[in-house]
Amino acid sequence: MSGPPLLELEGVSASYGPYRALFDVSLSVGAGSALALVGVNGAGKSTVARVVSGLVPVTSGRIRFDGVDITRRPAYEIARMGLTHVTEGRSVFSSLTVEENLTLSFRQALGRREVPAALERAYGAFPRLGQRRAQSAGTLSGGEQRMLALARVLVVRQKLLVVDELSFGLAPVMVDEVYAALGQVLSAGTSLLIIEQHVDRALHFADAVVVLSKGRVVYDGTVEGAESRLSELVLGRVEQ
Amino acid sequence: MTQFFNYAVPGIPFGCVFALMAVGLVLTYKASGVFNLAFGAQAFVSALAYVSLIEDGWPRWAAGVLAVFVLGPVVGVLLDRLLFRRIRTASPLVKLVPSLGLLVALPQLALIIAGSTPDIPPPALFVNAQRVYLHLGSVPLSGLELSITGSTVLVVAVLVALFRFTPVGLEMRAVVESPRMTELAGVNAGRISAFAWILSSVMAALAGVLLAPLYSQLDPQNFTVLLVWGIAGAVIGRFSSLPLALLGGLFLGVAQQIVAGYLPAGIIATGLRPSLPFVVLLIFLPFTRQRQFDDPLAGCDPPSATVETETLGYRSATTLAGAGEDDVHAVGLWHRRLGLEGPDAWWYRFVRRPTSTLAWVLAALAVLSALTWVPADWLLTMTQGIAFGVIFLSLTVLTGMSGQISLCQATFAGLGGFAAGQLADHFGLPVVIGMVAGGLLAAALGVIVAVPTLRLAGLPLALATLAFALLADNILFPNSWVGNGASGVIVPRPSAGPVNLSASKPFFLLSLAILSVTAGIVKLIGDGTMGRFLAAMRGSELAASSVGIDVYRLRVVVFAISAGLAGVGGALFGSLEGSLSPTDFNYQISTVLLVVVAIVGLGSISGAVVAGLVYTTLQVAVTTLPSRYAGLVAVLFGLATLSYTRHPEGFLDYLGNRTLTFIARNGAMSRLMGRSGTGGRGQPPRNEGAGNPDGDVLVPTPAPGGAT
Repeated sequence: MSGPPLLELEGVSASYGPYRALFDVSLSVGAGSALALVGVNGAGKSTVARVVSGLVPVTSGRIRFDGVDITRRPAYEIARMGLTHVTEGRSVFSSLTVEENLTLSFRQALGRREVPAALERAYGAFPRLGQRRAQSAGTLSGGEQRMLALARVLVVRQKLLVVDELSFGLAPVMVDEVYAALGQVLSAGTSLLIIEQHVDRALHFADAVVVLSKGRVVYDGTVEGAESRLSELVLGRVEQ
Repeated sequence: MTQFFNYAVPGIPFGCVFALMAVGLVLTYKASGVFNLAFGAQAFVSALAYVSLIEDGWPRWAAGVLAVFVLGPVVGVLLDRLLFRRIRTASPLVKLVPSLGLLVALPQLALIIAGSTPDIPPPALFVNAQRVYLHLGSVPLSGLELSITGSTVLVVAVLVALFRFTPVGLEMRAVVESPRMTELAGVNAGRISAFAWILSSVMAALAGVLLAPLYSQLDPQNFTVLLVWGIAGAVIGRFSSLPLALLGGLFLGVAQQIVAGYLPAGIIATGLRPSLPFVVLLIFLPFTRQRQFDDPLAGCDPPSATVETETLGYRSATTLAGAGEDDVHAVGLWHRRLGLEGPDAWWYRFVRRPTSTLAWVLAALAVLSALTWVPADWLLTMTQGIAFGVIFLSLTVLTGMSGQISLCQATFAGLGGFAAGQLADHFGLPVVIGMVAGGLLAAALGVIVAVPTLRLAGLPLALATLAFALLADNILFPNSWVGNGASGVIVPRPSAGPVNLSASKPFFLLSLAILSVTAGIVKLIGDGTMGRFLAAMRGSELAASSVGIDVYRLRVVVFAISAGLAGVGGALFGSLEGSLSPTDFNYQISTVLLVVVAIVGLGSISGAVVAGLVYTTLQVAVTTLPSRYAGLVAVLFGLATLSYTRHPEGFLDYLGNRTLTFIARNGAMSRLMGRSGTGGRGQPPRNEGAGNPDGDVLVPTPAPGGAT
């Protein structure tokens, strides 16, 4: 982790109406590194992701990405700057076909000319998607939908990829595949912010860890430092 | 065969007219996720501007360009910004009411602005409307018919190409499913949504300008009738396919000509033609797949306003947050600390109970005044208001309690009134008994409506009932044994029996008694087991049936009760007026009824009564204005739908909550001041496990060490 961090949150708070979800969250993702964000349900992990990508407005604090203050930028501008957020749950357009889903992303990121080549690369990486290109994405299985979401971001080079519970509900084999793909992304130079329920999985993968509890950061540091007292940090109790 | 051909060909231009409407509706639905019934009104507004400008001496092309390409987009952008962007994910009722309100309000607003309806017959845009350019077989085709057909084909071709081959078509479909996810792909969703509305508004304007020459004078009603045909065409297109909507419109146009040609003249033949949309809707609606996918990122929104109002205390908690408490924690915690919960809480003792007592005192004063010093015309207005209050109660039960949307309540009211009048006329039945009989007959009609529409809900149900209202207007009410056409039916005031109730004050008391009985029935329903069942059904029909509620039977029953209430109210109104004609309760009144009561408040009996009084009072008030402002009531209610989308609980509840919250805040604040130590700024309250009313709510405790 050398040089200035790619993504930096400074004292960020956010709320849904009157329900406050984040309290003074500060964290940073270094260029070319992977940060794991862990915590129990409702700890505010997804809200961090949403705040970063501009889906949820911050109430106070600042967010910098790639040297630019993006605190109150609209989501589409942040996306165009090279920050991709793969949301939790269904993150593809059910009403569009597989090919239309891919085209929508590729056209925006690469320009219209590059779309056919990008489609070929996506189908090369995920032959299943090629077989189902004319099928509407809502009819895909959960794993296939996750593949589609990954294909959208794997083909286009990003500066930062925010993945929210990408492996949730997948078969172990698929989880391996997902992490292999994330490894590729990382080695290609893209930074990662990974939100995971499979804590050990994420920890093995990441360079650093931030633990959230009830909307606050309770740990920010190395993986090794976190591992020994993980259950205390995450679950908020001291193991006997 | 030749004869068939001769009937069918003149139907094609009609079909294109319907198709233009149908394609416009489908386009808006596809591109914005809203079934925009105001489409007909937008068409009228542009047609009015077009004709008015020509009357002022503008050349036809210039007037056409201005009306279609300037006025159309402006209206579209305004609608998007002010209204439709905010209700994309709202419930069917919240989506429907504003577009109904605008359907009524926009034309009246335009007429007020224009000053008067143009005197000249609307000229065609770029051809000589009357000249026959060519013959197809032996059928002459005029310039107007050719231009409509040509433009329709062109428009559909352009739209299909747009959706198939351009980025914006794909992006529009993506935005309809989830604007946020579209933004994550780097697309400016706001701009796409605005473009979609501009497109569909240009289309509405074009339809208006092209179709205006069909009529010798511009009348909003004509465009509403066209809209109903367009809806039928859109339903054939299953709300989603532009080419199918085109074919559907064409089919309807040809079919109505054939029906008119082959059937012998008479009330059935003339009635069957306008009822075709109803038949089509009934056949095709069950097959429309409303493939509406939920927005997976809906969770980014704060909790919706309807959830908000379920718990009054939520509002006070919100307000307290604004009042300076740094961290608003769990609602339950605040409730208990402020003493807002439980029947013995200060809140109920000092705020809610006195408020409701005050309301009763005011009502009693109003009744006393009515019986003593109030002038006769005011008393008449009050009695009318009560009659409409009874009619509005029917919607309180049907829409407020069970969540069904009906656009044929005026039909039920009309049937009740006609029945009371006819029974008194033919059988000498006392009119009070006639009111009950009218209610029962209307209930029977309610069952007839409910059974074929059992599987419909939300928008499709609303459309089916709208078509039914139109059907009744055309083939039921004109009959001499029902509504007796334009001349109407005499409904006497009750005069038989020992007590003469025909004078205005006794009749007022009778109306009050009927209102009390019907309101009592509604209250019993609401508080009883059936009310719980209806609430369950409103929440989810599937979930309700999973706990053993016979949803279909319940729907038939609630339709019958609601129609019966409307019938009694209609009979009361007829008896008050002395006579009733079909125009008193046509399909447009049905739409107005729903809009009015939704704005005032569907959730309570007082909402219905206030709606009745406000509705009739405003209508009387507007007669004191110059005739130019005749449509002002419609405009007011139409514009009020804009605020309705923010406060779907209705004006009455909103006002009540505002007042109560205001009192609560001041009261609560002073109580907080009185207590020392607790609730100080920045000091988190003890986590009493009052917990999470919602899974996402966070109850912060001091962070354990280790935070950097």
